[in-house]
Amino acid sequence: MRGARALAGIAAITLLATTGCSTSEPTTEAGTDPSDVTLTLYNAQHVDLAEAMVKDFTAQTGIKVQLRNGKDFELANQIVAEGAASPADVFITENSPAMSLVAAKSGFATVDPDTQRQVPARFTPPDKSWVGFAARQTVFVYNPSLLPAAQLPTSLLDLAKPEWKGRYGIAAAGADFQAIVSAVLALQGPEQTSAWLTGLKTNAKIYPGNGAILKAVNAGEIPAGVIYHYYWYKDRAESGANSSKTELHLFDAKDPGAFLSVSGAGVLKSSKHPKEAQQLVAYLTGAKGQQILSDSTALEYSIASDVPANAKLKPLSELSPPDVDLSRLNGPEVIALMQKAGLL
Amino acid sequence: MTVTSLARRWGARTSGYPVAVAVTAAAVAALTLIPLGYVAWFAVGEGWHAAYQQLVRPRVGELLWNTARLAVAAMTASAVLGTAAAWLTERTDLPGRRVWHVLLAVPLAVPAFVNSFGWVSLSPAVEGYGGAVLVVTLSYYPLVYLPAAATLRGLDPALEDTARALGLSPTRVFLRVVVPQLRPAILGGTLLVGLHLLAEFGALQMLRFPTFTTAIYDQYQATFNGPTATMLGSVLVVACLLLLVAELRLRGRVRHARLGPGSARRATPVRLGRRAPVALTAVAGIVVLALGVPLASLAYWLVTGTSTRFPVADLTAATVTTLGLGVAGAAVTVTLALPVAWLTARRPGRTSTAIERASYFGSALPGIIVALALITVCIRHVPALYQTTAMLLAAYAILFMPRAVVSLRAALAHAPPHLDDAARALGSGPLTVAVRVTLPLIAPGIGAGAALVFLAITTELTSTLLLAPIGTATLATQFWANSDAVAYGGAAPYAALMVILSAPMAYLLTQTTGRIR
Amino acid sequence: MTDLTITALAKSYPDQNVLDGVDLEVPASTLTAVLGPSGCGKTTLLRLVAGFDRPDSGTITIGPSTVTGDGSWIPAHRRQIGYVAQEGSLFPHLTVAANISFGLPRRERRNQIRLAELLDLVGLDPALRTRYPHQLSGGQQQRVALARALAPKPRVVLLDEPFSALDTALREGTRRAVVAALTATGTTTILVTHDQAEALSLANQVAVMRHGQLIQTGTPTDLYRRPADLELAGFLGSTVILPATITDTIAQTVLGAVPVRRPCPGGSDSVMIRPEQLALAPPEPGAPAAHVTAVTFYGPDAVVDLKLPGTTTITARVPSHQAPEVGTETGVTVHGTATAYPSRVEHLRPAGAHST
Repeated sequence: MRGARALAGIAAITLLATTGCSTSEPTTEAGTDPSDVTLTLYNAQHVDLAEAMVKDFTAQTGIKVQLRNGKDFELANQIVAEGAASPADVFITENSPAMSLVAAKSGFATVDPDTQRQVPARFTPPDKSWVGFAARQTVFVYNPSLLPAAQLPTSLLDLAKPEWKGRYGIAAAGADFQAIVSAVLALQGPEQTSAWLTGLKTNAKIYPGNGAILKAVNAGEIPAGVIYHYYWYKDRAESGANSSKTELHLFDAKDPGAFLSVSGAGVLKSSKHPKEAQQLVAYLTGAKGQQILSDSTALEYSIASDVPANAKLKPLSELSPPDVDLSRLNGPEVIALMQKAGLL
Repeated sequence: MTVTSLARRWGARTSGYPVAVAVTAAAVAALTLIPLGYVAWFAVGEGWHAAYQQLVRPRVGELLWNTARLAVAAMTASAVLGTAAAWLTERTDLPGRRVWHVLLAVPLAVPAFVNSFGWVSLSPAVEGYGGAVLVVTLSYYPLVYLPAAATLRGLDPALEDTARALGLSPTRVFLRVVVPQLRPAILGGTLLVGLHLLAEFGALQMLRFPTFTTAIYDQYQATFNGPTATMLGSVLVVACLLLLVAELRLRGRVRHARLGPGSARRATPVRLGRRAPVALTAVAGIVVLALGVPLASLAYWLVTGTSTRFPVADLTAATVTTLGLGVAGAAVTVTLALPVAWLTARRPGRTSTAIERASYFGSALPGIIVALALITVCIRHVPALYQTTAMLLAAYAILFMPRAVVSLRAALAHAPPHLDDAARALGSGPLTVAVRVTLPLIAPGIGAGAALVFLAITTELTSTLLLAPIGTATLATQFWANSDAVAYGGAAPYAALMVILSAPMAYLLTQTTGRIR
Repeated sequence: MTDLTITALAKSYPDQNVLDGVDLEVPASTLTAVLGPSGCGKTTLLRLVAGFDRPDSGTITIGPSTVTGDGSWIPAHRRQIGYVAQEGSLFPHLTVAANISFGLPRRERRNQIRLAELLDLVGLDPALRTRYPHQLSGGQQQRVALARALAPKPRVVLLDEPFSALDTALREGTRRAVVAALTATGTTTILVTHDQAEALSLANQVAVMRHGQLIQTGTPTDLYRRPADLELAGFLGSTVILPATITDTIAQTVLGAVPVRRPCPGGSDSVMIRPEQLALAPPEPGAPAAHVTAVTFYGPDAVVDLKLPGTTTITARVPSHQAPEVGTETGVTVHGTATAYPSRVEHLRPAGAHST
C-alpha cells in the first residue's frame, strides 16, 4: 500500500514535470535568420546515418533540424493522416514506395531545379516531386556449403521452379520485394507474373526481414535468400558473425532480381519553411551530404553529385538494374497479384 | 432500520453522484473507442465490395486460422500454467515458495520481443506455431498467475477443509472447489492474455508466425494502402468482441465473494512429499524457460555483441524519460480507469458492462492503427495537443486501459460497499468517501494496475515513435534505433535497462496483489 | 455406531499453542463438547481428528480403525468424517442442492429423495434447494452445512464453533435443529465451542480444555456441580465462594452449615456454591442475614447483590418475583451441597460473569 501511494506521488510529480517540459519546448516561428529556423525531418532512414548528415547540414547552414524517426510505412501513413497540418518539412525514406504514397496523398513541393540536376534522372520520378539520395541493391545471398556456385540462379524467375522448393528465403512484405514483382510484371505480363508468384508461395520460406534471412543462411537453416546488399556488407564490416559463411550473388543484368531500390527525399507541400527545407534536400543530394553517406557504415550507395560509392561496394556503374518507373512501384495490380498468390 | 439501509436510501436520493461518475466513465470509454471508430470509418469508406474482396480470400482464412489456434493454445496454456503455479506457491509446502512467487511473476518484466529474440537465437526450431505458443505463453502467463495467486491467498481455507472432509482427494478439491472460486481471476487474466495476443507483433514477427496483426503491418509496409490494412483491423475488432463476450458468458452471474469473514487462519499447505522434487523441477523449469533464456541471451549480447557500446548519457536520458512516461502514463491510465471500474463494481448493469467492455478494444488493435487513429483525430480537433506528452499519455491510456480496469475492478469487488454507505451516513460527501474510504481500501489494486500499465509503457514502441514530442527518446525507441535485426549488440543495453526498470514493478505486483483480499 | 478414541495426542507449532497429551473417549452416538477459551488448542484438536493436520504423536481411533498413530496416517478425505466450520463455509458458487450433494458419489447427486430427506432432517424448506448461499440467513446456512456434512453418512461429525457467528435469535433454533438431526441419525459428534451454556445444554459429555490439556471430562451436571478447580467453576458459571471450616462432610460458613460433596484432598478452607442455590426470605432472628445492595432484573429471574456481615459480598439468583428491595435486609439459606477448594480467601468476590 505504501508502494502504491509512493507511486501515485511520483506519478503526479512526473506528470507535472513532463507536461511542463513539452509545453516549454521552443516552437518554431518563420523567420528570416536561418539560425532561428528549426526544420522537422520525418526520418525513415537509418537513424545514425540521418543524424550524421543532419549534423553536418546544421554546421554548414545554421539551420537546426529535429528528427522524428520511424519506418517508411509508419511515417508515410502518419504524414497522410496529418494532412495539411503535418509538422513535417522534409521526409526521407529507405525505399521509394513511401515517397509515392505521400506524393499521391499529401503532396510534395517540386524539388528545386538545381537539386534535380544533382541526381541522375533514373533515381527521380518523372514529376520531380522528390529525388533519390541513396540506393540499395537486391542480391542473392547463399551458403556455399549448401548451394554450390554452379547451381546459382541466373534469374529471379528461376526461383519459381520446382527444384527450388524450400531452398531460399524472401521477405515478401518488404518494399523491395514488391519492387521486384513490379519489375517482373513490367517485363512478363500479369499471367506469367501470377504463375511465378504462385511458385514463390510454394517454394519460398517467408522471413520477417533481410536480417533474419541473412542470419538463417549463415546458420545453414536455408541455403539462400533474397536480400539487400548492405546487410551483408555491414555484417562483414563489423564481425561477420552472421555472414562469414555466406557469399553474394548478383542476378543477371536487367533481370528483375537486379533491382536497385531508391531512398527518397522530398519537401512537403505543407512545409512552413519551404526555403530551408529545399536547402536540406539540396544538401542531402549534394557533394557534402553524399560524401557522408558514402563514408558511413550504412554502406548504402551514394547516387548523386557523382560521389563514388563506398570502396567496399561493387561500383554503381557495374550494376545493371532493370528499368522500372519509380512512381509505379507497388501499384494496385502488383498488390492484387501478390494477394491472389497468398503472399500478402 | 439499520444504519446501512438508511445510508442506502440516502445514497439512492443523491443520484447525482453515480451520474457524475457515469458521465466520466462514458467519456473515458469514448476515448478508448477512437481506434474502433477509425477502423469502422475506413471499413465503411472502402465500401462493401472492396471489404468483401479484401476480407474473403484464402490468405485471410490462413491468418484467421493462425490467430485463432495461437490464441486458443496460448490462452489455455497460460491459464493452466498460471493456475497450477499459483496453487503450488500458495497452497503447498513447496520449498522456497516466497522466492518462487517473485520469480514466477518477474517474466512480466521481460518484453515479449526480447523473450522471442532469446529463443530464436537459442534455436531456430522455435520458429512457427509451436514456438509461438511456447514463447507467447512464457511471456504472458504471469497475467493469469498473479490474480490467481492473489485470489487463492484470499480464499477461505475452510472451504477446502470442508471439501476434504466430504471425501475429496486434494486433486478433486482443487478442481471442484478451488478452480470454480478462481474462475473470475483466471478468466480475467486469460482475457488479458488474449487481448495482448491479438495485438502482439514484435515477438510473433521474429518467430515467423503470421497472424492478423503481423499481416496488418505487412499490408502497411508492402502496399502503403492504409485503408485496406485498417480494414483488416476490423477482423481483430470482431475477434476482440468474441473474447469479451466469451469471458462475460463464462464468468456468469454466480457470486464468488466469500460469504462471511470466514476463518483468519492460513490454509494448511498440501504436503507434496515425494512429489516435491517434481513440483520444484516444474517451477524451476518455468522460471528457466521464461526468464533464464531471454536473460542469458541478453547477457550474451551485452558481453560479446560486437557493436555493444555504452553511451552512458544516452542510456541515462532514455531511462529517465521512460521512467517519467511510465509513471505519468500509469497515473493517467489508472485515474481514467477508476470511474469505469467503479461503475462496473458498484452499479452493475448493461450500461456499465458496455462501458467497461468498450475500454478493451484499444488494446486488441495493432499499435500502428491506434496511433494513426489518434493522429487523425487529434490533428483535426485538438491540434494544440498534437505530439505533446499529453497526447502520448492519452494513447497509453487507450492501449493499456484494460490492465488498470481489471486490477481496479477486482479490488473494488473486494472492498465492501457498505463501508462507503457507512461513511456517507456519517456525513461524508462523495468525494470525501472516495478519498478517505474507497481509495485507501483499493490502494493495492491501484498499485497493481499502475504497475501493469507501467510495464506495458516501458516497452511500447509504435505510439511513442509517432506521437511523442519530437526528440523524445525512450528505452524502446532507442532499442529499435540501435537494432538492425541482425545484431542486437548496440540495442542490448537498452533491453537490459527495460528489464531492470521493470523488475521492481513486477516485484511490486507480487506484493500488492497479495494484499487484495 | 462408531466411537472415537484419542490417546496421548500432542502437537506443537513454532509459535502457537501446543496440544499436550490429550486423552478423550467419545462414546458412539453421543455428542461431546470440547469447551475452552479461544487459543486453548480445541480447534487444533478438531483439525487433528479431521485429518487436516498431523499430530507430533498420539493415536486417534475411529471405530475399529486407527486413523492416526502407530505409524499410520489417513488423510482427511478417507476418514469418513463430517465437518462444519464456523460459518458453514458453503461453496458460494453452488446452490443449496449442489452444496448438500457435493460429497455424494456422482450418480447419487441427482437423487431428489435423498436431498429432500436431508433438508427435512435439518428442518429446511425444500423450496430453498435452488437458492445460492448468499440468499440464505446465517442459521439456514449452518443447517445446509450440517445437511451437507451428514449426506455421505459420516462415521463422526466435527462441529467447529458452528453457532458462534449467529445472532441470539437464530442461535437457539439452529442449535436445536442441529442436535435433533444428529440425534435422529445417531451420529457420533464432537462440538468445539467457547460458550459454556452451549456445551452444557447440547452435550452428553463435556471436555474442558485449557493450555493444550484436557482438565476435566464429564457429564454437564458433573462439571457444573463439581468443577475441578475454582477457575473452571468460574468459567462454567457464576460462583459464590465462602470461607469455611470443614469437618467431615460439613462446612461451617457465614451462611451456616453446608454439606460438602467431596472432601478436598490436602485440606481446604473455602467452598463454592452456585448463586441459584441461595434462597432469600425475610430475615429471621439468629439466622444468617445480608444487606441487599443491588438487584438486576432478567425477566424470569433476578440477580441480587448481597453484602454479608464483614466485607464479603455475594450474589444470589432467585425467581424474579422473590427478589427483595434494594436497601433491605434479607435472610439467606443455602440449598443443596457445596464443593470444597483450597483456600482463596483473599479474593472473595463473585467470580465469572453472570450466565445468560
